[in-house]
Amino acid sequence: MKLLIVEDEKSLSDGMASYLKQENYLCDQADTYRMALEKIESFEYDCILLDINLHDGNGLDILRTLKEESKTEGVIIISARNSLDDKVSGLELGADDYLAKPFHLSELRARVEAVIRRKKLAGTSLLRYNELSIDTQGRTVSVQGRLVELTRKEYQLLLYFAYNKGRVVSKNAIAEHLWGDDMGGSANYDFIYTHIKNLRKKLLEAGSQDYIQSVYGMGYKFAAP
Amino acid sequence: MKLFTRYSRINFAATALVLLVGSLSFYVILRYVLIRQLDDTLRVEEAEIQDFVSKRDSLPPPANYKDQHVQFVARDEPVHRRFRSRVVYDDPDGEARPFRMLTFPVRAGGRYYMATVSKSQVETEDLLFLIVVLIIGIIVLLSIFQFIINRFLIRKMWQPFQETMQAIKQFNLSGKEATRFPPTRIEEFTELNGALNQMTEKILGDYQTLKHFTDNASHEMQTPLAVINSKLDLLIQDQGLNEKQIRQLQAMYDAVGRLSRLNQSLLLMTKIENEQFLETEPVDLKELTEKKLVELEDLVQAGGLTLTASLESVRTAMNPFLADILLNNLLINAIRHNVAGGSIAVTLRAGEFRVRNTGNPLPFEEQQLFDRFQKGPRSQGVGLGLAIVRQICDHMHLVVGHEYAEGWHSFSIRF
Repeated sequence: MKLLIVEDEKSLSDGMASYLKQENYLCDQADTYRMALEKIESFEYDCILLDINLHDGNGLDILRTLKEESKTEGVIIISARNSLDDKVSGLELGADDYLAKPFHLSELRARVEAVIRRKKLAGTSLLRYNELSIDTQGRTVSVQGRLVELTRKEYQLLLYFAYNKGRVVSKNAIAEHLWGDDMGGSANYDFIYTHIKNLRKKLLEAGSQDYIQSVYGMGYKFAAP
Repeated sequence: MKLFTRYSRINFAATALVLLVGSLSFYVILRYVLIRQLDDTLRVEEAEIQDFVSKRDSLPPPANYKDQHVQFVARDEPVHRRFRSRVVYDDPDGEARPFRMLTFPVRAGGRYYMATVSKSQVETEDLLFLIVVLIIGIIVLLSIFQFIINRFLIRKMWQPFQETMQAIKQFNLSGKEATRFPPTRIEEFTELNGALNQMTEKILGDYQTLKHFTDNASHEMQTPLAVINSKLDLLIQDQGLNEKQIRQLQAMYDAVGRLSRLNQSLLLMTKIENEQFLETEPVDLKELTEKKLVELEDLVQAGGLTLTASLESVRTAMNPFLADILLNNLLINAIRHNVAGGSIAVTLRAGEFRVRNTGNPLPFEEQQLFDRFQKGPRSQGVGLGLAIVRQICDHMHLVVGHEYAEGWHSFSIRF
C-alpha cells in the first residue's frame, strides 16, 4: 500500500508517517500544494491524507484535480477547521472521510484501513489472524469458522484494535473512537474496561487466543501475528 | 428631576426675581419723577403767590379746588420752606387722600404767614398701582407660557433625544445590523448621534476583531495539538517505558484531550454566535433523546446511576445539530454532577424537556450557573457545557431554567 501525506506541519507529517509505516505500507510526504500536485501526477497512491489548509493553496483544489483526472485514490481530509462546510464540500468533491485536528494516530490508522477496505484496495474485506477472522463487509467475527456474537461496541473495539495491530492504543483514543468527544474527559475509563473484558471473554470462549493485551496504565495492544 | 424641569424652575425664579427687583426700582424711580413733577407745579404756585404778595403786599384769597388748595396761617416768625407728602381727611366724603404740599413763609402787610400749597397725589398713586398690576400680570402670563412651552414644545424638541435613548437601549453587540443613529433637525442631537455612530462602529469593529481572534486562535491551536497528540501516540509505542513515565504520559494525554475539547467548545460557541446554524427542520425529540440515552448508557452505568425516562412524542422545528448538542450537554451535566449511586430522571412532554438529577447544592451562585468557565471545584469538564446550553437556547429562543430542591437539580427547556 502506498500512502501520500499532504501536510505542511512537518512534525505532524513525520508523526503520521512513522505511525502508519509498516511492512506493507509506504508513506510519501508532501508539505506544499505544489509538491503534492507533482507527486500525484507522477505516482499512484492508494490513499491520500490531505490537509486542506496549505500555505500555498487549498487542499480542496487537489481533490478537484484528482476528480478531474478520474483518479481512484482514497482521500481522507485532515483539517484544522472542524467546520461542517469544509466537511460537506470535501465529501461532495469525492473525499472518502474527514478527520478534524487534533486526532489520535490510531484513529487515523483505522480510518485509512477502513477506506482502503471500502475501496477494496486490500483485495479482500477479510482480516485474518490465525483462528480469528473479521469480515469488515459483513461486520462479523468468527473463530475457527464459527461466528462469535459480539455487540456493536465490542465489534468496533476489536476492529479498532485489529487496524492498529502491534501498536499500543491509548484509552483516550479508544474512548474517543467509540463514544466521541463528549465522553472524553471522564474521570475513569471503567466503561471501556467493561467492554474489553466482555470482548476478551467471548473470544477466549470461542477458542481464540488472547490477542488483546493490556499495557499497564496506558491502554491496549492487539498482538496478533 | 428632569433637565428641563430643573432649567425652567431656575429660569422662572430668575425671571421673577428680575421682574420684582426691576418693578420695585421702576416704582421707586417713577414715583420720584412724578413727585418732582408735582413739586414743580407747587413751585410755580409759590412763585405766583410771592409775585402777588410782592406787588400788592397782601395775601391772595385762599383757593380750594378739588385737587389744589392754598392756605395762609399767620405766624410770629417766618417758617422754613419745605415739601411734604401727607394724607388728608378733609374730603367731604371723609376719604383719606394723599396730598403733596409745600409750606413757605410769606410776609404781607408787615406780618408773617405760613403759606401751604397742596396738590392731590391720587393720580400719581393710581398710575403706580396700575404699573404694579401690569407687572404681576406679566409674571403670571410668563409662567403660563413657560408651562405650555415646557409641556408641548419642549417635548417635541426632545423627541430625537428620546429616539436616540431607545436605540441605545436596543443596542445589541451580537446583532447582525449595526444600530444607526440618524441626523436630526437639532444640531446638538445630530452631533450626539454622530458620536454614537462612531462609538458603536468602533465597538462592533473591536468585537468583530475579538471574535475573529478567538476563531483564529482556536484554529491555530488545532495543529500544535495534533502534533502533541501524535507524538504521544508514538511515545507510548516504546516498550521500555516505566510505570512513572506511563503515568506522566497519561496525564499529558488527559491534558491534551481537555485542551482540544476546550478548543472545540470555544469554536462551537463562536459558530453559534456567528449564526452558522440557522437552518431548522422538524426534529423528533423523543427519538433524539432515546438515541442520546443509548449513547450515554455506558457513562450512566460507570457512575452507578439509575436512569428513568418518560418520553412523549414531541416534534419541533430546530437546528438538528444544535438540538443534539443541547440534549447531550444537559445529559452529560446530569451524569457528571451526580452523586455515587444517584439517579437521573428525563421527561419530555409537549413544550418542555426536563432533566433532573441527584446532586450536591451548587458551590456558587445560581445565576452564575450558565456562565462560561463556571464550574465546581471537582468538575472534570472544561466549564463550557452549560454556557453552550444557554447560548443555544438564546439562539433558538428557548427558555432554560434551573431549580434545586431536596437534593435534586432540575434543568428545564421550554419551547
